[in-house]
Amino acid sequence: MAAREVRILFRKELRQLLRNRGALLTAVFLPILMILLMPMAQILSMSGGRLHELHLPEGLQLPPGLADLRHEPRAILWFILTPLVATGCLMCPAVTASYTFISERETRTLELLVALPVRVGHILTAKLLAILALAVPLCLALLSVDAALVLSRGLGSPGYVLTLGVMLLTALACSTSTALLVSLLARDFRSANNLNGLILGPIILGSFALMTVIPGPTLAAGVLAALYAVAAVITTIMALRVVTFERLLL
Amino acid sequence: MPDRVDPPLEVTNVIKDYPGNVRALDRVSFRIAPGERVCLLGPNGAGKTTLIRLLTGALSPSHGQVRLFGLEAENKAFLEARRRVGIVPQLSGMYRDFTVSDYLHLVKDLYGKGDIPEMVEAFGLGPSLRRPLAELSGGTQRRMTLAAALLGSPEVLLLDEPTVGLDPVSMRDVHTFLRRIMAGRTVLLCTHNLAEAEALCENVIILRQGRVLMHERISALRQRVPALLSLRAVQGPERLRAALAELGSPGRQEEDTVLVPAPEPTTQAPELLRRLLAAGVDVYECRLITPSLEQLFLEIVGAPHGRA
Repeated sequence: MAAREVRILFRKELRQLLRNRGALLTAVFLPILMILLMPMAQILSMSGGRLHELHLPEGLQLPPGLADLRHEPRAILWFILTPLVATGCLMCPAVTASYTFISERETRTLELLVALPVRVGHILTAKLLAILALAVPLCLALLSVDAALVLSRGLGSPGYVLTLGVMLLTALACSTSTALLVSLLARDFRSANNLNGLILGPIILGSFALMTVIPGPTLAAGVLAALYAVAAVITTIMALRVVTFERLLL
Repeated sequence: MPDRVDPPLEVTNVIKDYPGNVRALDRVSFRIAPGERVCLLGPNGAGKTTLIRLLTGALSPSHGQVRLFGLEAENKAFLEARRRVGIVPQLSGMYRDFTVSDYLHLVKDLYGKGDIPEMVEAFGLGPSLRRPLAELSGGTQRRMTLAAALLGSPEVLLLDEPTVGLDPVSMRDVHTFLRRIMAGRTVLLCTHNLAEAEALCENVIILRQGRVLMHERISALRQRVPALLSLRAVQGPERLRAALAELGSPGRQEEDTVLVPAPEPTTQAPELLRRLLAAGVDVYECRLITPSLEQLFLEIVGAPHGRA
């Protein structure tokens, strides 16, 4: 149960976030593109009658994550869909956080909040919860469209879709904890963007790289989910123990 | 035996280090009693804002204790103590997407009490109620922060440079409000404005380079630097100085006047004038100059190692 102060500040953050059209559009655009439009184009192009086996050259060595391509045309969808969903979820909170944290810091409005009977931790928690309140329903809604199409067209198993859902949640947790760390370290939008690129870039590239070495879509999504969860824990510990909330006020 | 009453503000042997080996506060100690009105004076970088942030619990001391009503920030009941304190932050930014009404309701919710219409009336915020904070004039923004600080009827006020950046008219308005709201409350006023400090507070804490140089009554501070008699004579300042030296009261010449230290001016001045006239020096002007707080401040802060 969140502290009373967090609940009050959460309402304030959510109200401000929903009033900010720029923040909303930016936060919504990337997930719609990554989780809905790009996968949908792939899914629709692979409707039952148009599935063809790929004609790969004889003797071509494929990494374990792509080995299924020889006999399973749906493997290309799994190879693309999983990291696209992950990328959309990793980007959404990071972009929203730039608006809620960095703009507050840049405009010095944080001073107004610190003057109120709250702890700095309450302010940060309320902001993170507001980011999640926007990102989780949005990303889940977009994924549910993909899931419905994948299941109805026989392009994936329920187990795979369920694992994608778990991966979505851990990716959001990872991105939110990264947003916390970036907001403590960055002084302005520019440095926030640089830091986001520095932290999220390798995670996203690493996700695509991992997809090539892990056999099977469900296992790959499960491994990614576990790695995002570990990254979320490590980043949160770094933010709380190493960087500390005081950094926000320096 | 009566219960021990914890002071509203208490700082004990506090050190605050920032990253990069920057020591903002160095073994700072003071306590402010209920009803005491103290101004915190110090040049830029003296550690005033750090001290205010420590008192609000926004920062933690590297060493030592900071207590509000006897409670440290780590204490679970600290927020109860915080709700007894109103804070006017230093030159904060203002929201573009939050109106005066939104902000005052947020403050009321967090303090758990407050009469918004009463504060709006008291600080003349009626016409601005539906306007975004960032669109208000500097004076109105400051009145809004004062109203927010008072909404929870706090016993203690922490005012971090409440008039900095204001034009003279707005500054006068804010001073009028401050005089009204400070009555009967414990106040720590952080300021550069020495006239403001003298007009609003009876005690002073002087900080320099993170250290407390002194904490005492402004009236006692005045006694540290004696009053001066400013004298002018028909015969000119050189002759006047020579006569004063002969009488055992050496003075300092400044242009055509001579300044003589006079710790007890009511007894010293008539006697000195009688003796100067008897010595043939025609004194035609004698003024008593009491040092301003600014002079006292410069005397203390300007000294190579300060004076405690």
